[in-house]
Amino acid sequence: MSYTDETWPVDDAVDQGRFRVHARIYSDPKILDQEMAWIFERTWGFLGVASQVAKPHDFLTTRLGRTNVLVTRGADGLLRGFVNACRHKGALLTRLESGRRRTHSCPYHGWAFDSSGKNVLVKDVECGAYGAAFHQESHDLVPLARFEEYKGLLFGSLNPDVPPLAEFLGEARPLLDLALEQGPNGMEVVPGRSVYTYRGNWKLQMDNGMDFYHLTSTHSAFMDLVQRRDGSRQGNTDARQFDWRQRLTQVGGAFGFRYGHAAIWLEQPQPEKRPLWPVIDELRSRVGETRARWMLKLRNMTIFPNLQIADSTSLILRTFRPIRPDLTEMRAYCLAPIGEAPEQRAWRLRQFEDFFNPSGLATSDDTVVYEDCQRGASPHLGWLQGFSRGMASMSEAPNAEAEELGMKPAACVKGPFKLQNEVVYHPAYREWLRLMRAGEANLPAYQIASEATC
Amino acid sequence: MLSDSLRVTTAHDLIAQEMAALDERRWDDWLSLYDPQCEFWMPMWRDEETLTEDPQRELSHIYYRSRAGLEDRVLRIKSRQSASSLPLPRTAHAAGWVIAEPTSDADALVVRNSWSCHVFLPSTHESVVLFGLSRYEFSRGEGSWRIQRRKIRLDSEYIPTMADFYCL
Repeated sequence: MSYTDETWPVDDAVDQGRFRVHARIYSDPKILDQEMAWIFERTWGFLGVASQVAKPHDFLTTRLGRTNVLVTRGADGLLRGFVNACRHKGALLTRLESGRRRTHSCPYHGWAFDSSGKNVLVKDVECGAYGAAFHQESHDLVPLARFEEYKGLLFGSLNPDVPPLAEFLGEARPLLDLALEQGPNGMEVVPGRSVYTYRGNWKLQMDNGMDFYHLTSTHSAFMDLVQRRDGSRQGNTDARQFDWRQRLTQVGGAFGFRYGHAAIWLEQPQPEKRPLWPVIDELRSRVGETRARWMLKLRNMTIFPNLQIADSTSLILRTFRPIRPDLTEMRAYCLAPIGEAPEQRAWRLRQFEDFFNPSGLATSDDTVVYEDCQRGASPHLGWLQGFSRGMASMSEAPNAEAEELGMKPAACVKGPFKLQNEVVYHPAYREWLRLMRAGEANLPAYQIASEATC
Repeated sequence: MLSDSLRVTTAHDLIAQEMAALDERRWDDWLSLYDPQCEFWMPMWRDEETLTEDPQRELSHIYYRSRAGLEDRVLRIKSRQSASSLPLPRTAHAAGWVIAEPTSDADALVVRNSWSCHVFLPSTHESVVLFGLSRYEFSRGEGSWRIQRRKIRLDSEYIPTMADFYCL
């Protein structure tokens, strides 16, 4: 089987009303190796948030595909991204996930690098009897091929031939802005992060982050708790949780974008439950009536391949990393306006903790169900049928919602909540197939030059 | 006033009662060990070495300022509708060291302890261990001790899939 076979393993035939994904896509170890090489190591990948490295010499570490990455802010205030490894013997330069260091010294032979990646010490260099060639080489850290920031989100790429970040994010930017411009002084990662794993494929999280359809089944126990809180004022009322049953009667939709990004949205019947509500006047005057209204709606989005920002309950930023076909590492952060008033911050945190995290009352049910998918989706199951809802209500022309946000998505869907569309998954799988085909054919991931001329 | 050794013995017993109620799935007995106005707090790690310190400004795994949040969790388990607890993981807690902190109040008991919890997941046939430290504040009213505050440090925080109250 080859990715150029027309229907393997993504059968993208929307023009015939069909879009299917083969169960094998979640479990084949060879596919994961290819995803690492042809997707995670050839696209832009999310690395972190600028607030995590706000001051000179702040750093964070993460990964792009199988490569360890160091993001560090130099004395000059500029952020840079490097391979997190000493040039000498390849030891991890820092094994810390974050911190502040003017210089990073390799724990092995003591080579040192400043916070802009420049080598400042080759230990005992004067006694080393090095040949001339050694001194002609740069000993500085190896920079990522590409490193850019979009409104506080840091992205890197191991592939020099990616489109500029702004083009990669493309028409999804107005939706990203709705998360990134909620505070007049920008957004920050609230201290504290959860790191967890699940025994399932990374794409199960990718799908679930935009899945309306599971809410009334997977989260029925949670919805019952919220009903009880609202009805009898019992339980964790501090969470000021949304009445999900009211949400189920709302109108919503989806947007699909180029390069695999997509989003769902839903009208929010209880704006007063948003921690932003007390500052809505500030928001309206700063971002305008339309965008302030959109900030109150439910919006979940995926920036392919490893970032999800969901503003469903509280504002969460999640990134995921495949370890094996059947094992994924999750990192979840709470995003909040910098300088948010204490009362709203506490409100936001209680909402977040109630729903998200491996210790939360909704996420834990999701992750266990991903594991069920992993165990159930044997390659012998064949084609999965979970990509079809909403097919008949898709439009390529921007709908009114896209227009009022000034976006030109590749596809739009709108309808009552119960539509619970699944076409929102198409862009990611379509991009997945495109990148896998390019990798298999030994072609560049992006046709940059030809795009520039057309 | 309790002597130091009696404090530790009393606290050991109270902690064992909590662990037993969880392992034996006596959820209502477990809830009754907590005062209705209790604080239950499991902060998150900021990074490898520091925990969040202010639950009003920083993220926690769990933060409840009353027992109501714990009651939610028990209801969720009992509903049999929550996939994360179906089938119910089996747990066996192990109590470690217990140290009493000095207090001048005869009806208060403050202790720190280490704990671990072996969790067997019948659905995947896997066992995991969660462990960490706790700090308990007990208060005595009408002859019995209740937990007024429990702060949990989850040391094994690379969490396999999920962590609910009965694993802590």
